[in-house]
Amino acid sequence: MVASDHSPPLTTLSPVLGDNRNRRFLDPQALARLASMPLMARRTMVGSVSGMHASPHRGASVEFAEYRRYIPGDDLRRLDWRAYGRTDRYYVKEFEADTNLRMCMVLDTSGSMAFGSEQITKLEYARRLAGSLAYLAVQQGDAVGLTCIGKEITRTIPPRRTAQHLRGINDVLQHTEATGETELVARLHEFAETTRGRALVVILSDLFVEPGSLREAFDHLRFRKHDVAVFHLLDPQELGFEFRRPTRFVDLEGGSALLADPSDIADRYQKALDEYLRKIRKIVLESAVDYHRTTIDEDYEQVLLRFLSGRLRGRGLR
Amino acid sequence: MSFLQPAMLFALPAIALPIIIHLINQRRFQTVNWAAMQFLLTATKMSRGYARLRQWLILAARTLAVAGLLFAVARPLSSGLLGIAAGGQADTTIVLLDRSASMTQRGPEGESKLQSGLNQLVDSLTLVPSGRYVLIDSAIGKPQEFESPEDLLKAAESKPVSATADLTKMLETTEEYLRANRPSRCEICICSDVRKADWKPDSGQWETVRRSLLELPQMIRFHLLAYPELDKMNRSLRITSVQRIQRESGAELLLSLRIEQGTAESEITRIPIRLEIDGARSEFEIEMSGGQFDLVNYAIPIDSSQTRGWGRVSIPSDSHPADNEYFFVYDQSIERKTWIVAEDPETVVPLKLVASVPPQPNIVCSATILTPEQVIETADDQPALVIWQAAIPGPDDPTANWLKQVKAPILFFPPERIGGESYAGVRWTEWRDAASQVSTWVGDQGLLASTQSGAALPLGDLTVQRAVGIRGDTIALATLDGDAPLLSQAITEQGQIYFMGTTVAPMNSSLATDGIVIYAMIQRAIAIGTQTQGNTRQLIAGSTSAQRAQGWQQIAGDSQALSTNYPLHAGIYRDGERLLAVNRSEAEDQPFIVPRDQVASLFGDLDFDRIDDRAGNSSSLIREIWRLFLIGMLVALIAEAVLCLPKRVAQKAVSNADRTGSDRPLGRGSAT
Repeated sequence: MVASDHSPPLTTLSPVLGDNRNRRFLDPQALARLASMPLMARRTMVGSVSGMHASPHRGASVEFAEYRRYIPGDDLRRLDWRAYGRTDRYYVKEFEADTNLRMCMVLDTSGSMAFGSEQITKLEYARRLAGSLAYLAVQQGDAVGLTCIGKEITRTIPPRRTAQHLRGINDVLQHTEATGETELVARLHEFAETTRGRALVVILSDLFVEPGSLREAFDHLRFRKHDVAVFHLLDPQELGFEFRRPTRFVDLEGGSALLADPSDIADRYQKALDEYLRKIRKIVLESAVDYHRTTIDEDYEQVLLRFLSGRLRGRGLR
Repeated sequence: MSFLQPAMLFALPAIALPIIIHLINQRRFQTVNWAAMQFLLTATKMSRGYARLRQWLILAARTLAVAGLLFAVARPLSSGLLGIAAGGQADTTIVLLDRSASMTQRGPEGESKLQSGLNQLVDSLTLVPSGRYVLIDSAIGKPQEFESPEDLLKAAESKPVSATADLTKMLETTEEYLRANRPSRCEICICSDVRKADWKPDSGQWETVRRSLLELPQMIRFHLLAYPELDKMNRSLRITSVQRIQRESGAELLLSLRIEQGTAESEITRIPIRLEIDGARSEFEIEMSGGQFDLVNYAIPIDSSQTRGWGRVSIPSDSHPADNEYFFVYDQSIERKTWIVAEDPETVVPLKLVASVPPQPNIVCSATILTPEQVIETADDQPALVIWQAAIPGPDDPTANWLKQVKAPILFFPPERIGGESYAGVRWTEWRDAASQVSTWVGDQGLLASTQSGAALPLGDLTVQRAVGIRGDTIALATLDGDAPLLSQAITEQGQIYFMGTTVAPMNSSLATDGIVIYAMIQRAIAIGTQTQGNTRQLIAGSTSAQRAQGWQQIAGDSQALSTNYPLHAGIYRDGERLLAVNRSEAEDQPFIVPRDQVASLFGDLDFDRIDDRAGNSSSLIREIWRLFLIGMLVALIAEAVLCLPKRVAQKAVSNADRTGSDRPLGRGSAT
């Protein structure tokens, strides 16, 4: 847990969060605790300004990168005279460049995200994660964007790194409703095609689609050199399927209803769920996706802490 | 199947409860908005077949469990004997007990059919209580109430006798009892070995009895506890004739006997025959092969001064001891006199001829033709047979009084002129010309019985041109075409009174020309009449009433027999100066069982069921089997529990379902 001594005072957060009374999905105290943990990219980022993330380009940081033979036209101030003294040749000393991060959050707003058995829906949980991540990114100077997808891409906010922009993202998060069918895979492909430059793509969804088709979407994103992270949001009841009485299950995405005796199908349900999760696990392993299966009865702060600390260990891959 | 608490079966619809509860549960579903529909659809498709089967199996198990419980509390019985399919306790249970000699046949365990039947009845009646118990036995034939089923075992009326049973008579008594006492519901249990001799399945009485019973308003159920098993190794002994002969060298008994056995073994078997004459015992052996052995006129020397006496012949006891012994009495030979009373002597010459020809050379027969007036003069002399072919005397006629004093059989032939008088309530009607033949006759007993070899008398060859009708209370022994009686026996206490429907005159019938029938008939009547002569009698058990047997003293036989029941038990008895030998009837030795289908047809539309048992069977016929149903219920419940157990796969799936992401994959670049 982040020490509270390093947390910024709540008053400093207020301008960033906007009107906190309408941001129930944001917990300033949790944000204050998480603020000490940097949000790191696992891959090099191409930012517009200097930042804390590795860039594929050489820059002016203090971190040595390599020696390169002098080419006429190079800045003479970058010649390493000591190397010339030792080797009688001209070398230019190059340093790593640090840049800022572009984080694009993809929020699934299909009807299935409206499900929640623990007094909180998956969408509400996703709001907490997305709002917190957005705050953390902006707070460390990174740009944040938001894309809401259902059957179509319903809302797109391009990445910006201003506090005012964060307020706009929070407004969208606050007013987004989970409804309708999902075309998650198609919309991810569309997102991959339309999002230029490298970015940290954070997908918040229950991923209730055919796992095989997800693989292609993830590969597409990876092909675009995005760093992909997935928060796979599941409700405990979806995992446990603990029903006693015959139940009429109404599809939240507008499909037909199904009447079943849970005692008859529980084992088969679990078998199908296991098979699905096994395939998802295989896909994310092979696609190198930063995958986080999350049940929505978990403390989202802990989930984010694991996410952030995990990324710390994987930073710097250039 | 029968039940002690059949009312509980009204709760049987409760077996539908699991199904109803299931249907109600199906209707009481909750509605849930659900996201993970793809798994539900997959699960539904995957489990459709087995889950449905499992569901039905669970329902079936639950239904069986409820049914098992209901059947158990209804207290089911293992058989239908005395069972009650509907309703409660019977008002009256009547036991018809066949005590005939054949019921003493023992099983391998040494217990007789009668004893086994009694034990089974007592067990059953104890289990199925009744308001009143009544015993009608084959020997006494009178309904006797008893307090509890156990009393059956102690009652003297449940002990075996030598007399043949008459099921129709017992059923008639039952019907009379039911009419007199009017019980509301009655269970009638018949315990018998279903011998033809006892049941007389061809008797016309069955139809009468059946109709009478069907007319009764109350609910009657018949249960037959049958012991039809025969022992093929059984041997029976019977004396066919005994005659004392006085020769110059001394006196001797000519004994003829017959031994029959169930199997016709060709192998020669030596059988010791024990003989007891007036208390002196001796033994000799015979060699027997095949199913039958006849010893004819075996001469046994006796003391010349011994003019009258008794004896007993026996063979080693087998499974049926009652037919291993036979009693006899003997007396000095008496001339067998036949008096033929006729208005016209010429018409009865053939009768005189057949009456005077003895059946055996050492028998003396004589026949005398008399007129009705002459016959009165012979008042002190007793004939062996009276043949009367004259007008029946009126009540004031002295010959009528003379006839009433006759102890011998009387055989009436119709005179040419039929008067209006009757004798023993029987009279003739006018002559009629009607050429016909004999259509039916009683061949198992009486004057027209088949011969000892089993061959029937050739009555079918007889032709009758003229005949008279016979009116009155009679039993027809032979009938002509159209059911006109040819020979009838009057139902009277006087004894053997017969009426013929025609004469031996050639213009009336071929009785004289086909002389075999008339000869056998006359000689048998004479043989019966001979019994009334002298001071010895060969009696069939049960043929003498207890009233007549008052004063009898037992000389040999069953020492346990009550004096009032002496006429029912084989043995030697003294009645004043007379010696009496009582034996079982010949029919008792005939191992013929009434076929199962025929027994069922005898009861017709009456509510009837049957259980076959065997002598010595110690296992109770009726047992409460509710334990079986409880076990069945437990098995059904266990099966239901097993079917309801969640599958291990499902448990594993739940445990693996990581709520906290513990099985979270470690992707490249992912630290979590």
